[in-house]
Order: sequence, then structure tokens, then C-alpha cells
Amino acid sequence: MRLDNIVIVAKREYLQRIRSKGFWIATLILPLFVAAATILPTLLLSKSRTEQRIVVVDTTGRVAPRLHEKRPEDGNHEARDQMARFEFLVEPPAKDRQAQRADLDRRVLAKEIGAWIWIDEDVLAGKPVEYHAKTVSNVVTQEVLSDDLSYVVRRVRFADAGLDPDRVGSLSASVKLETVRISKEGSRAEGGMAGAAFAYILFLLLYMVLVIWGQQVMQGVLEEKSSRIIEVVISSVKPFELLMGKLTGICLVGLTQFGIWMFTLATVSAPGVMASIAALPKDTKLPTITPVMALHFLLLFILGFFVFSTLYAAIGAAFNNLQEAQQVAGVVVFFLVIPVFLMIRIINDPSSTFAVVASLIPLFTPLLMTLRISLEMPPLWQILLAYALTLGFLIGMVWVCARIYRIGILMYGKKPTFQELWKWIRYA
Amino acid sequence: MSDSLELRDVRKSYGKFVAVDGVSLVVPEGSIFGLLGPNGAGKTSTIRMIMDITPPDTGEILFFGRPRGPEDLRRVGYLPEERGLYRKMGVTDHLLFLGEIRGLKRRELVPRIEKWLERVDLAAWSKAKVEELSKGMQQKVQLIGTVLHEPDLLLLDEPFSGLDPINQELFKELLLDYRRQGKSVILSTHGMELAERMCDHICLISRGRVVLTGELGAIKRQMGGNSFRLVAEGDLDRLQSLPEIEHAVTQNGVVKLMLRPEAEGPEVLRQLVQFLRVHEFRSEEPELEQIFLKAVRDAA
Repeated sequence: MRLDNIVIVAKREYLQRIRSKGFWIATLILPLFVAAATILPTLLLSKSRTEQRIVVVDTTGRVAPRLHEKRPEDGNHEARDQMARFEFLVEPPAKDRQAQRADLDRRVLAKEIGAWIWIDEDVLAGKPVEYHAKTVSNVVTQEVLSDDLSYVVRRVRFADAGLDPDRVGSLSASVKLETVRISKEGSRAEGGMAGAAFAYILFLLLYMVLVIWGQQVMQGVLEEKSSRIIEVVISSVKPFELLMGKLTGICLVGLTQFGIWMFTLATVSAPGVMASIAALPKDTKLPTITPVMALHFLLLFILGFFVFSTLYAAIGAAFNNLQEAQQVAGVVVFFLVIPVFLMIRIINDPSSTFAVVASLIPLFTPLLMTLRISLEMPPLWQILLAYALTLGFLIGMVWVCARIYRIGILMYGKKPTFQELWKWIRYA
Repeated sequence: MSDSLELRDVRKSYGKFVAVDGVSLVVPEGSIFGLLGPNGAGKTSTIRMIMDITPPDTGEILFFGRPRGPEDLRRVGYLPEERGLYRKMGVTDHLLFLGEIRGLKRRELVPRIEKWLERVDLAAWSKAKVEELSKGMQQKVQLIGTVLHEPDLLLLDEPFSGLDPINQELFKELLLDYRRQGKSVILSTHGMELAERMCDHICLISRGRVVLTGELGAIKRQMGGNSFRLVAEGDLDRLQSLPEIEHAVTQNGVVKLMLRPEAEGPEVLRQLVQFLRVHEFRSEEPELEQIFLKAVRDAA
């Protein structure tokens, strides 16, 4: 085996792909999409904040005056303020209520005011407040208004019942959880949902990279085979060198893409993603990746890439065109999809027996071990065992696939049967 | 002077089908060697065995006078019939890659590639992607890739198919140049006219077997005794019915006649004048095409 040949082939594979526009479009579109999906709604929401002048007619005389009172901080205060702001104009109920209502309607239509509300005595007994406006589909605005009214009406009701509203408020405050993640490196506060979101994103990115670049390996092999460039190359480069060079080059392309994604997500869109997935208070601490974790992610990426791409390369070499190959490649995708189905269960309990066993199965290890490490560091023996099993599996796979590749890549004509493939493996 | 390549009784079968049935041939150094035969005769199968793409079932393949070693293939420039190029690669990058896998360094390759692109009139396309080139241009790039490492033996499978006359001339010139340097070229083709003008040695294959091989001039002399050129008016179709005539091909009013070995020229002429107005009848060397047709028919 000549190492320099592998390097030349790997360099070609890497540069050809890195230099293509398609790579950059595919690589940059994801962070852009995520950024757009997370930042835009917030942006649109803040732009769409309503400032409404509302005339309040309060027949009880007890609710309206308190609408201007400042509410105590409760965490949601800012979000509410972003969504809608009201200017309340309190007007006393007139004698002729019909005429007053008609006049208020006219003022809404003349755009002097945005809406008017009517608070009757029975509101204190639980009846609704009337809200009159030209549009009544502005649910967000109504939600905020209803919240503001509820706060005041509730306080009036407490007072009527002989209770101190402030005391009731503090006594009935809800309980929040402060999540602390425990690891060997020491405990620290961290948003639980943010941790899961991070694991989830990492998992999906890895899944995408494995599928995309595995398919690329297959197509690359098919191209070499159908254009017969293989026949020119093979006189200088042995099939195994070509295979290893190809896998190494494309693996580096995948790593480059994965790196760009991680970097852009961490810098550009991570806060938005985390916030939107978990609706976190803004003082949440985001999960950090320690160097040890990063090293494991890298190793798992390389293992995963080689396991699946070797399979893809063998399939590409065994068949004559993309259609034939695609049918069999579906089987490979199947093994990549199973971890996706197991993901939720593992996120819920990353150290369960189920999670441990699943993450030790070589075809699942790359995805599931990455998921587990990003959730909580598994015991070292489990990680090492997973590495050993996957590496053993990979060596077996390379042995089998290199044989199929060596024969298949130079074979033309009809689609091979499974008996023929078996013969290639045994006699190559 | 040693031989560039020798095949000894090489066989290859795919299942029940025998593609190459005991082919033996010798390619002397400094020759342009035509591997000729109709479609499906076993030319490409033979080439694939020479290039170690498929192993022969039995037989020996010798390079430069000794059994083929792993490094020998690097001394060969091989041009497969299909357009074997990476479509998405730039022309220069592609040629660099082909040169590097043959063990050449970048700095010696760059000037060589420039020189070659200049010579085949592709300098303006050096940065273009292969897929942007026309078919003929791609063929030229492929040819450069074949000769870039200055191999001692060129193996070209149907190199002229799909080339316009200008580029055919260019290719021919390159091959003749190659021979002048004392290197060998193996040319696989079913275009007889071309082989006749280029080759000094030939091997004719039909149904996996060698039907004729050797130096072209010698073959012609050996086969040439009974070839005649006839210019005449009248019922030319009757020529085929004369028992002395092996076969007759009419082209632009000129008939190429090949007589049976025992037939006598003057006797045949006596018969011809009975139904034709003969303007010209003279002995000449047969064309390769006639030899080819006769040999293939005899073999069958």
C-alpha cells in the first residue's frame, strides 16, 4: 500500500468538493435557514407590536383606575411588553348607554381609538369583559389585554373577600426549577431544555452529514466506474488505495462542513435556537463542550463516516448506475434512521440500560454515543467498549467491502446477484 | 532490440462465452501496432488483460521482455474507449492529478501540461471544467493524460472515434512522433483505412482468435499476389458470380478484385472482356480492408 497515492487521491476528492459552489450553498444554507427560522419570528413580532388606544368604560368604577398601576416583575413582563402596549382612556358610563356605545363604535370606525371595552358589575362575578374593535383576530393583543385585566380584577376580588391582594400574590407564587447538571468535572447550573436541544441539534447534524456524504461516496464511485476513469487510474493506484483515499478525502469534506455548521450555529444562531426551542429565561447558561467531549465527537464522527461510507462505496462499485445502487442504499439509510427513532427515549434517560445497550451496537454507536455524550458523560468503559466494538466491526466491514469494491469497480454488464457478491467476497 | 509487449496464448472466458481464445502476439519496440478486428472480436477484452484490469484465465503477458511486474503498468499510457475523465474537474487540475498518481512532481508537471495544452490548441481552456469542453476537446485532454508521464508504451482503444479530420491528423502526428522516439504504440480499431496508413505491424482478431499477425508489408506481399484493380463499364454485379473471384469491392467506379490463389490474372481478364468494357486491369497490393474481409471469412 502506498501512502502517497492515498494522499493524492484524498487531496483530489477534498479540493474538488471544497471548490464547488454546491458545497458552499449546501453548507451555508442550513445556518442561514436556522437563523432565519429563529430570528425572523422574533423580529417580526417586535415589529408587529400593537400600540392600541382603548377606551375603558367601567360601571364598577373599581377596575379602570388600577389599570395604570405598575405590575410587579414576574418574568413574563418583558415578553408581554414586546407584544402589545395599551393606552387606556377611562370614560365614565353615560346615562344613555345605547348612545354611548354607538358613539364609541363611530370613534373606532373613524380611527380615533383602536378599541373599547365595557366592564360591568358582573365581571367581578366571573362574566367576560366586552371588547369591541374593527378586527378581533389579533389574538396576541387580546391575550395581553385579558392578562392585564385579570390581574386587576383578581386583586379587586381578593379585596372584596377580605384578603390582602399583595399577600395572596406572594403566597400563590409558582415554583420554578433550577436545573444543575452533574458531571465529573463539577456541577454547574445549566438549562435542562437547552442541554437536550443541544444534543438534539448535534445528533441531527451528524445524521445529515453521514447521509449526505455517504451518498456522495457512492456517487463518486459510480462516476469512476461508469466513466471508466477507474481503468486509467488503476494502473497507478491500487483499488484499496483509491478507496481509502476517497473515503479520507470525503471524510475531511464532511468534517469541514460539520465544523462550519457547529461554528456558525454556536456564534450566529445558537442563542436563537436554544431560546425558541426551550423558551428559556434569558439568564440560562448554555451547555459548553469540553475538549474531551469534542475529541469524542471527532472520533465518533470519523468512525461513523467510515462505517457507513465503506458500505456506500461497496454498493456503488457493485452496481452499474444510480438507480440500481439507490435501491440497495436504502438499506444503509435504514440503519441510520433507527437511531433517530430511539433518540427521544435516550434523551429522556441517557444512562438507562436501553440507552447503554443501543449505543454499544456498532452501526448505532456513532449517532447514539454522540447523543449520550452530549447529554451526560457516560462511564469511560462504555465509551471505550463502544469504540472497540465499532472499530472491530469497521475492520470487518472494510475487509468485506474492499473485496466487493475491488472486483465490482472493474465489472460491467448486468446487476450482480447476491450469490455473485458472496463469491467476490470469498475469492477476491 | 527487445519487444515492448508479448502475449503468449492468453485466454479469457466469461461463463460459457470465450472472449479471448488463445491470443499470442508480439509488439516490437518502436512500432505502431494495430490490434484489429470487428466489433466484439475480443480487442477490448485483450486490452483489459494487458492492463491488468481483468486477469487472464491462462497464458502469459510479458512487458519489455519479462513477466509483467507491478511497476510496468506505470510505463504504459492507456486510453480507454470511454471518456474516462472526472467531469467536474478543471482541465489543468485533472492533468496534474493524472501525473501525480504516476509519481511525477507538480513542478515538473506544470510546464509539461502547459506545453501539451498549447500543442493541441487547448491553452485557453486550461482553467475550464472538463464538462464544459466539447467531446473532441475532452478526447484531447484524455490523450494528454495518457502521454503526460512519457510512457514507453501507448495503448489506445479506438482513439480516433468521434474526432473530426483536423484532430485526427493531430492525433496521428502525435503517434508518429512517438514512434520516432523509439517507443511503441498499440492501436485498437476497426477502422481499416486508418490502420493501413498508420500501422507497421498488425494483429487481426476475430471471435477471440488471432487470424493474422505480423509486419504489415510482409502480410501484404504474402497476400498480394492475386489482387487486381479494375476500371470497367457494364454489369459489374456479375463479377461476384465468377468462381475465380474471391471477392470484389466497388468504390468510385474502381473495383478491387481479390482472386482465388489458384486463379490466373490473364485468364480472368479474358472472361471479363466478354461482358465488360475494360479500361484498366492491373495487379496491385491488396488493401488492408480486403485482407481483413478475406481473413475473417476464411476464419469463419
